[in-house]
Amino acid sequence: MQGSQQQQAYDRGITIFSPDGRLYQVEYAREAVKRGTAAVGVRTQDGVVLVADRRTRSPLVEASSVEKLHEVDDHLGIASAGHVADARQLVDLARRRAQMEWLRYDQPLGVEALTKEITDHIQQYTQTGGARPFGVALLVAGIEDGEPRLFETDPSGTPYEWSAVAVGGGRETIQEYLEDHYGESLTLDDGIGLALEALASASEGDLDPHGVEIATVDVEHEDFDTLDPDTVAEIVTEHGLAEGGEDE
Amino acid sequence: MMDDGRGRDGLVPDGSTSDPDPFAPELVPNDAAGDQAQHLDDETVNKTGTTTIGISTEDGVVIATDKRASLGGRFVSNKQVQKVEQIHPTAALTLVGSVGGAQSLIRTLRSETSLYGTRRGDDLSIDALATFAGNVMRGGPFLHTHPILGGVDEDGSHVYSIDGAGGVLEDDYVVTGSGTQLAYGAIEGEYDPELSIEEAVTLAARGVHAATERDTGSGNGIYVAKVTADGVDIEDYDDVAELL
Repeated sequence: MQGSQQQQAYDRGITIFSPDGRLYQVEYAREAVKRGTAAVGVRTQDGVVLVADRRTRSPLVEASSVEKLHEVDDHLGIASAGHVADARQLVDLARRRAQMEWLRYDQPLGVEALTKEITDHIQQYTQTGGARPFGVALLVAGIEDGEPRLFETDPSGTPYEWSAVAVGGGRETIQEYLEDHYGESLTLDDGIGLALEALASASEGDLDPHGVEIATVDVEHEDFDTLDPDTVAEIVTEHGLAEGGEDE
Repeated sequence: MMDDGRGRDGLVPDGSTSDPDPFAPELVPNDAAGDQAQHLDDETVNKTGTTTIGISTEDGVVIATDKRASLGGRFVSNKQVQKVEQIHPTAALTLVGSVGGAQSLIRTLRSETSLYGTRRGDDLSIDALATFAGNVMRGGPFLHTHPILGGVDEDGSHVYSIDGAGGVLEDDYVVTGSGTQLAYGAIEGEYDPELSIEEAVTLAARGVHAATERDTGSGNGIYVAKVTADGVDIEDYDDVAELL
């Protein structure tokens, strides 16, 4: 009896290590990320591509109300997988920090600096009594000093930089596809194709053309650009990834 | 506790997050006597009076200042003040007006530059440093100083005048302090963007010389800082004439 109560203490209280040095609540938060639909990021020489799976649970949901890709500043964007509500809090923090950089130094915030602002914030929720970790993983993409950069944040608050990466449901399959097909010399369009194919690899090779979101930040314009749904559907079809041939 | 109330944000009791003040320096020096200084007697507060000059050239920035501090503008309280200090690997700032305010500003800019460089692995640009300095001047407590910021970064050479209300103005050459008009008179029409560093030193010395001769707040020799992409080199001379 006593034993099981003690077990509950480190199983539920996030500020407490388990005897073998694990933080269960952080691990449960990672599980929450896996339950979310996937987001994929690909860094190319021309810019960074973010692609998100936003399949809806009902055809009656307005697709545009499902937020997976978020503009942070002109030159910065975020894709999320996991709890959307948690993601929104972090995205708002990111937007405030980006503006703070303009106020403080009159300069655009770097992708690495932004990622570390976010992960420092996430980390606080793994060490504070009464708080719950963020059940979300983010891909932070942007241009810094003319170079495309792509970072991942996880619920422990650790930042990682990637050439290409997936978070969310089906991550292993998608990551394997990226590892097999990524090349340094990709163009931005190649990057979109690779991200879509990688995403499709986790769902038997095809995608709902209206269940995908695409955004890019390119080196030339340093501008976060979300593609409109018709263009996205066109690109998915062009790549032969549209499920059941023509949609509708 | 994870938030010491000094900038880095943390959780506040209701679970929401607080934003740090974008204008406040991350570390606040322990001398924020601030506006009290306003009420201090003119006779007891060291002022530099001062002539400080910044000149931008293709190869770097030259900053020259006199060496006098005074009380009430009538008594020379120090004859060997270094009124240009390095605040960044490739930038320097002048002390003008209240010595205490200027020294406090220098400490603040040094710590901000150091923190930024350590955290980000890259130095603040001179433009960002000037913006930040303007925020510090604007945010109070008011420092009663009117420094020149000169530095070199990826974009080249820059000199800025930063006024007491936080105004940040870049120019090819800038003068601040009590000898401003005398020094401008000596420099005006002589500036050329293609000056070498050594020619700029001579031109700046002519400005300090004019102020030394005619401004009671300026004198006792000259400090010269040469700021290039390689760093900041500061020297002083007891007689301005050595550089003319």
